[in-house]
Amino acid sequence: MGTGKFMVVIMASMLLIHTVYAASDPASEKLLKSTSDHSKFEALQQDFSSGPEVTKACLTCHTEASKQLHLTQHWTWEFLNPDGQRLGKKNVINNFCTSVASNYASCTTCHIGYGWKDDKFDFTSEINVDCLICHDSTGNYRKQPGLAGNVVTKPMEIPPGSGNMVKPIDLKKIAQAVAKTSRDNCGACHFFGGGGDGVKHGDMDSSLASPDKALDVHMDATGINFACATCHMTEGHQVPGSRYAPTAQDKGGAHLRGKEYTTNPTTCQSCHGQAPHKANAKLNDHTNMVACQTCHIPAFARGGVPTKMSWDWSTAGKMGPDGKPLIRKDAKGHLVYTAAKGDFVLAENVVPEYLWFNGKVKYTLFGDKVEKSSQPTRINHFEGAADDGKSLIWPVKIMHGKQPYDSVNKSLVVLHMAGNDDTAFWTNFNWERAIATGMASVGAPFSGKVDFLETESTWPITHMVAPAKDALHCRDCHAAGGRLEKVSGIYIPGRASDHARWLDGAGWAIAALTLLGVLLHGLGRVIVSRRHK
Amino acid sequence: MTKQLPLINVLSICLVGCGLVVSAANAADGDWKRGRVYYQNVCTECHKAKAGGPIAPNTRTMAEWTTYLKADKHVKGKESLAKYASKEYRASIKSTNKAAEKYADIPDEQLFNDVKTFMLKGAKDGDSPASCL
Repeated sequence: MGTGKFMVVIMASMLLIHTVYAASDPASEKLLKSTSDHSKFEALQQDFSSGPEVTKACLTCHTEASKQLHLTQHWTWEFLNPDGQRLGKKNVINNFCTSVASNYASCTTCHIGYGWKDDKFDFTSEINVDCLICHDSTGNYRKQPGLAGNVVTKPMEIPPGSGNMVKPIDLKKIAQAVAKTSRDNCGACHFFGGGGDGVKHGDMDSSLASPDKALDVHMDATGINFACATCHMTEGHQVPGSRYAPTAQDKGGAHLRGKEYTTNPTTCQSCHGQAPHKANAKLNDHTNMVACQTCHIPAFARGGVPTKMSWDWSTAGKMGPDGKPLIRKDAKGHLVYTAAKGDFVLAENVVPEYLWFNGKVKYTLFGDKVEKSSQPTRINHFEGAADDGKSLIWPVKIMHGKQPYDSVNKSLVVLHMAGNDDTAFWTNFNWERAIATGMASVGAPFSGKVDFLETESTWPITHMVAPAKDALHCRDCHAAGGRLEKVSGIYIPGRASDHARWLDGAGWAIAALTLLGVLLHGLGRVIVSRRHK
Repeated sequence: MTKQLPLINVLSICLVGCGLVVSAANAADGDWKRGRVYYQNVCTECHKAKAGGPIAPNTRTMAEWTTYLKADKHVKGKESLAKYASKEYRASIKSTNKAAEKYADIPDEQLFNDVKTFMLKGAKDGDSPASCL
């Protein structure tokens, strides 16, 4: 065979290989998932130098998207509680990093927008909506802290003076690969609430990006692989299932296709109905008292990422022997003290606490009077009772804190933590100056006196659903010292607090008398039978 | 003295070259999420059980992973690395490994490419450094 023919054979082989490969390759898979290939869109054939430029391009086709987003909590960071309290990230004070106010450029790294650096942010701007944070599929989209939600498009040192150079991201490549939201998208913020991986929620951390079945039966990446939006079924960019609007008890049945529902689609009942236990129907008798999560999430922080259980701000500011801000780590290398934040207690595989919850949450807000006492101040408070007909027993994480407050005005305070100015706590470690700046930023009075207040906050546990075989067993609750030992207002056979000594005594006495009667009867039989002989 | 190549040979060489370029492009553009699942559930699980512990993608640079992947050697050079992404290998472990079961029918080259994509992306200096979680 001549060289020419040989080359023709090789060429034909190459083409054949590619034809066969294409039939079972990612391109075919893509086609099954979407009718649009964004890499072919003319508006995206350009190099972008900022996030808003990308959004402008997105809006040329998705003309109403930003208008929809403007109506969401993800954009406003506000929520009006049914009782009138103005909530949302923008307004609440928590016992993690405390508050967004005065720290916008850092906190708004997790805002779905670009440029929220102070209270003058334009919430009507359409091009400042960040499409990519929710629709990136490359996993390469990053928002760096301190940039008010903007992205790095040229090499940048972050934080300034640290020597840490951050590479720019390729916005064109990312924009051309947009897709439906995934766990990685939602997790980019929600896994890292409270300032780090798994810190805040306990049932959400980076282990859920690609979990196995043991960690979460629904999100199991080797199984049914639910995205967040599979349950948080979004319409018009409105994401249901916010913890600000929880559904404690869903009395409805499973949602059927073709039928319209106005109820929360994120509840267990919206898929599983009211009688989900087929093999052991007795378990269905519990569903009017016990939330599904109580039995099916036996512990949280189960994926190898610890969650923060307490945070003591009062010890912050210590310097090491070298004069630099002190840090301490535990045996696994997790930070348990930093000069910037104080002491932490971390935990994995945490057994939740349990309480009655009717879906109403009351918050202690900025401006509410707080008092130092033997009981911690409740940053938020889950309402509910056994007899209100609306409550179920829910598993929760209780976060314990010790945070600064104005001891004269008796008020929680706005802390100015992050920033490149000389009053930021993370720069100068001076409480009075940091709080004075923080309070001035919201126009609130500050006496200049700082003390520390013990606080606690409550977080619902609803992710990390274990396989049925790992759910709680009867003896986990129906036994002395069981999990529900402290839950009041309900009779739970077997638990110590439901023991009535007189009833136990009477029961044992009856049993003893029965035994005695049997023995006497038996003895009588023996005696009578001997007489007849 | 130079010898001129016939036109058909020049064209053929160009097309073969294009084929290689396309292959290289594919190699850099696999499904990193599927690669992540396979890496975590097959590579990491096996290393945990039999090979002294997991090796996170972010413990090596992209250049180091590229060299390693190009060499295609595993078990101290005794076996091909690609073998561990093959259908044959997946079939051998699928009764006890859910990732191998889920991806049982993915073509060898495609799945190996997915894993490569995840490793390079997750490298110490990659676009998204990845630990073993």
